[in-house]
Formats: sequence, structure tokens, C-alpha cells
Amino acid sequence: MSCGRPHETPCSQVVASLSAYIDGEVGVEEYRLIAVHLTECPPCEHQRQEVRRVQALVARASASIATPEGLRARIQATVLSDTSHQRPGDDQE
Amino acid sequence: MPEAPSAMDRHSSDLSDPSDPSRELSDEELSTLFATDALPYLDQLYGTALRMTRSPADAEDLVQETYAKAFAAYRTFQQGTNLRAWLFRILRNTFINDYRKVQRQPRFQPTDELGDAQILDIETRSAGGSRSAEIEALELLGDDDVSAALAEIPEEFRTAVVLADVEGFSYREIADIMDSPVGTVMSRVHRGRKALRGLLDEYAKDQGLVGARGGEES
Repeated sequence: MSCGRPHETPCSQVVASLSAYIDGEVGVEEYRLIAVHLTECPPCEHQRQEVRRVQALVARASASIATPEGLRARIQATVLSDTSHQRPGDDQE
Repeated sequence: MPEAPSAMDRHSSDLSDPSDPSRELSDEELSTLFATDALPYLDQLYGTALRMTRSPADAEDLVQETYAKAFAAYRTFQQGTNLRAWLFRILRNTFINDYRKVQRQPRFQPTDELGDAQILDIETRSAGGSRSAEIEALELLGDDDVSAALAEIPEEFRTAVVLADVEGFSYREIADIMDSPVGTVMSRVHRGRKALRGLLDEYAKDQGLVGARGGEES
């Protein structure tokens, strides 16, 4: 989808980098190019908003997860009291 | 990974001056430190574990096992480095090694290829539909719908999205946690979100939410 107007940065390139742009994972120059593009291209700006909305929904849905009651106590009882777990040279992998 | 202290070192530390900062911690001190520093991440680890396993019982076991492994390796953990990312890395490794295999992935098929095929299928499906739902229509979906959409996308995409959007990890941190190149993380986050968007779109249409605000199919 494109607004049909010519851009310094092609829509395909902007769309491919949208997530990285939103996450602050692009360089300064690429950030500037995408930011300019978004101000002049409504379809790409729409896609940016879609990604932001999906992010917000994922965060909202995960915020409602409740850790089972008693799990903390079980970990404290089984893990922290078991000093035989500690073997020097063990790796977590 | 720094060299682990020997059992002898640990034993002799029991007799050393408690005010010496370089001495080894006793088992009790280590337990206290671990409880203070690592246990506060329980909710975050459980939330991610639930997304990974899609089963509350498995998530509980996975988190418990993660803490057991983390505690066992805690002497080798370098204080001052990223404890949260370290715990998530153990969580992911434990999931891959102990859970994913038994969940549903056929062992003979490389999981990356399987994930790629699955997400491509979702992408193709959602791209083939009519005009997508208004962004606002997605707001009307419940948390259960979002959880169902997350459960539908392949684990490596789901986990990358959750680590970015729920836990706020950087791509570099996610790469370390998932043992993947940063470029792969970038692609998984992007494609994962896109696939979620497509699935949520389908759900919104199925529930008649599309056009509820008058802006669709014009």
C-alpha cells in the first residue's frame, strides 16, 4: 500500500523497518528518514499506528496474568533451602 | 563465564572475616542475596513462561526449574551485570531443552523452518483478506483474544514479541536471551507483530467488530 507520491525513502523500506523504528533500534539517520516519510505518507503512518496498537494490546493482555498463589513460597521452600543444588562449575545451560 | 570457586574455597570461606568484601558468601548469605535480588522477577518470568508454554501448569514447572538452575549457578553470576536478562536466558534455555520438544515440535524438523512456515501461512492468510479492520476495532477485542492470537504464532516469534513489548528488552538483550543474531530478532519481532495484527483482524471480523464504528468496507 502506498500513497502514490514519490518519497526519499521507499514505502517498502519504511514498512520493513517500522518495528525497529518504534523500538528505537535504528540509527539516527535512518530514524530521521523514516520520521520524515511518516509525516508525508498516510498509509505508512497508518501502519505505524497499527504496530503501536498491537504492542499496546499485547502489553495490556499480559498485565492481567496473575502468578499462581503459592508459587513464590514453593520456590522459596524447594529451591532456596536446597543447598545441594550448589555445585561449583555447574552451568545454567 | 568466570571460573567457579572450588568446594574447598567455599568451605574455607566459612572461617574468613565476614567484613572482607572479597570473601566467598556462605550458603545462607547466597540464599538471602538470591531471594532479595532474583525472586522479585517471579511475576515477569511467570508471565513469559505462560506465553511460551501456553499452559499454567507447565509455566509453573518451568519457572520453578528456572529458579533452581539459576540458584545452582548463582555463584558464577557476575554481580552488577544484567540479572534480569540472565534469568530470562535460563528460562528460555530451559524451555527449549526441556519443554518445547515434548510439547509438539517434531524432532526431525528444524524448529526454525517450522516456525517460518507457520508464520508465512498466517501472513499469507491475513494478506489475502479484504480491507483490514479499523485500528479502533482492535481495541474492542478482549485480553483472551490477544492471548489466543499470541498462542497461534510460532514460539520464537511469540517470545521475541513478548520480550520486546511486555518486558521492554532491547534487541541486543533479546538476542542474548534467545541465542540468536540481532538481525533475526529484528525480523521475528516485526513479523510476529504483523502476524498478530492479521490474526486480531480475523478475530475482529469474526466477532462482527469490524465496521462497528462505521469506518469499514466503505
